[in-house]
Amino acid sequence: MTGLTLLLLVVLLLLLRQSLFVILGCVTAFAYIFYAGESLDGIILDAWSALNKDILLAIPLYILAGNIMARGGIAARLIRFMRALTAPVPGGLGIAAILSCAVFAAVTGSGTVTLVAVGAVMYPALMEAGYSKRFALGSLCAAGTLGVIIPPSIPLILYGVMTRTNITDLFLAGLGPGLLLTSLMVAYALWVCRDVERDEWSPAELRAAFQAGVWALLMPALILGGIYSGVFTPTESAAVAVVYALFVELLIYRELGLADIGDVMVGTSRLLGSLFPVLMLAFSLNMFLTYQQVPDQMVAWLGERITAPVAMLVGTNVFLILIGCLMDIGSAILILAPMLAPLAADQGIGALHFGIIMVVNLEIGYLTPPLGLNLIVAMSVFREEFWTICRSVLPFVGLMLAGLLIISFYPPLSTALVN
Amino acid sequence: MRDPRPDKQSFKPGWAARLLSGVQVAEKWLAGAAFVVLVLVVFADVLSREFTGAGLYWVSQVAVWANVIVVMAGFGLASAEGAHLRPRFADLWLPARWGPALATLQHLCMALFNGAFGLLAARVVAGSWRLGEVSIDLFVPIWPVQIFLPLAFLTAALRHAIYAFVPELRPADSSALAPIEAGLGK
Repeated sequence: MTGLTLLLLVVLLLLLRQSLFVILGCVTAFAYIFYAGESLDGIILDAWSALNKDILLAIPLYILAGNIMARGGIAARLIRFMRALTAPVPGGLGIAAILSCAVFAAVTGSGTVTLVAVGAVMYPALMEAGYSKRFALGSLCAAGTLGVIIPPSIPLILYGVMTRTNITDLFLAGLGPGLLLTSLMVAYALWVCRDVERDEWSPAELRAAFQAGVWALLMPALILGGIYSGVFTPTESAAVAVVYALFVELLIYRELGLADIGDVMVGTSRLLGSLFPVLMLAFSLNMFLTYQQVPDQMVAWLGERITAPVAMLVGTNVFLILIGCLMDIGSAILILAPMLAPLAADQGIGALHFGIIMVVNLEIGYLTPPLGLNLIVAMSVFREEFWTICRSVLPFVGLMLAGLLIISFYPPLSTALVN
Repeated sequence: MRDPRPDKQSFKPGWAARLLSGVQVAEKWLAGAAFVVLVLVVFADVLSREFTGAGLYWVSQVAVWANVIVVMAGFGLASAEGAHLRPRFADLWLPARWGPALATLQHLCMALFNGAFGLLAARVVAGSWRLGEVSIDLFVPIWPVQIFLPLAFLTAALRHAIYAFVPELRPADSSALAPIEAGLGK
């Protein structure tokens, strides 16, 4: 009866269009009162303890660095370099679009910001060069999601925080799958666009593009090289990324002023103000569930019914793809990762490997209706019909599902670098 | 004869608009200043370690507290711009003509929740003050930072109460775009 009341409460809050943090707060308060009979002060204490963690500092800093770069001139220079580099290859401009998204995602910390920044330049260029609208839309929407898995990745940090998994290890684990998905998309572009007229190869343009974009191209080396060489922790790397982005945009490219930086900081604070309350209350709910030994009971219950890791993997993948259709990636990780990771561990699927599987599943959710974020963004950026965009991403969703299968059933792709 | 009452469609109580605008300006400055502190202290720690071989012991706690202020000021800014993350799949479950009433209920419910959590948070902070809880790194009381929690919740309660009764001051719902701009695609 109490469970039914809780379900009705959630439905009522959904109907009243409440924010996720309100829903989580009400569910947690309900659980405190009706399942444990404890004082609600515990919710605030747990929420404070979630916020009072230095491991979370990487999130605001990476988002700030990404927003500074998205607002400035780094994207245009990366695109110019990639175009010059891929000019002689069949489907070169299409490949340049995919690689630009992958590299920009690796420095900005944002997949959807990548779609906006790269797509705004590359979509008209692809159409003008004779690429089909379907390929242009699909490749940009899909490559925009590469930022979800290519480190440094905010979803991987959230997963690390919620499951107490080492974030540097998660970043290392994301490299292989990120490269796999990028390679699948590039191979598809090579095949589909083999008949499109190529640009002329110009070593002079390549040299000029490199010189113009060298500061932008150094960024991934600085961020990822710093983390993997052990010079920086992820949080320090994020602070270095902010300072480097400010240096490049304010003093080298000079396309941003101090007022722009102020706007970016305020905008980033607003976005953190929508993310962190969810994180705090999800942490609080998770602490309550742990005190009540709910994950242990779930593991025991499921352990009796699922006896093969394959069944667990297939079931989890289907479940997470459905969740990805309905929820944003951050909320899904904050709520589900602490519950699903112990279940996966019970089936012998390590926390690192499971984290990558979870993030790739939810990454596909960016391309699935009704709430695929990249579909919605593409609709407004490219001024195209929603269903036109949905059809255009279908081949790429197929590619990503194939990649997901490989990632799920071949753990060394994720874990080899860490080991 | 002309109706002396203000036109209902364009009615905006000046005091409420000024109050909300003033609070928003304060939140922007607070968030910006705290963000500058956050970036500077973490970067200073990196420089210190690289050049002197020793990190700054106080950085972690100061940076975390700066982040608390960024987040809680950002919480208000998100309320002011309708940018809180919100599941939207149930939006079409009720008839569209109920929209105006639902919007009022939505803000009333948000006001009640934030008010309740603000009071809870105030009680926790008062307890922390009475017990004299201090940071283990800095040995200074933590309540001056914790107080941003009840402040943010209670300000949000006031804000949503105003939105509930003065529809003209409500922000457009940009909750669908919040995760996009937040860079959660990464």
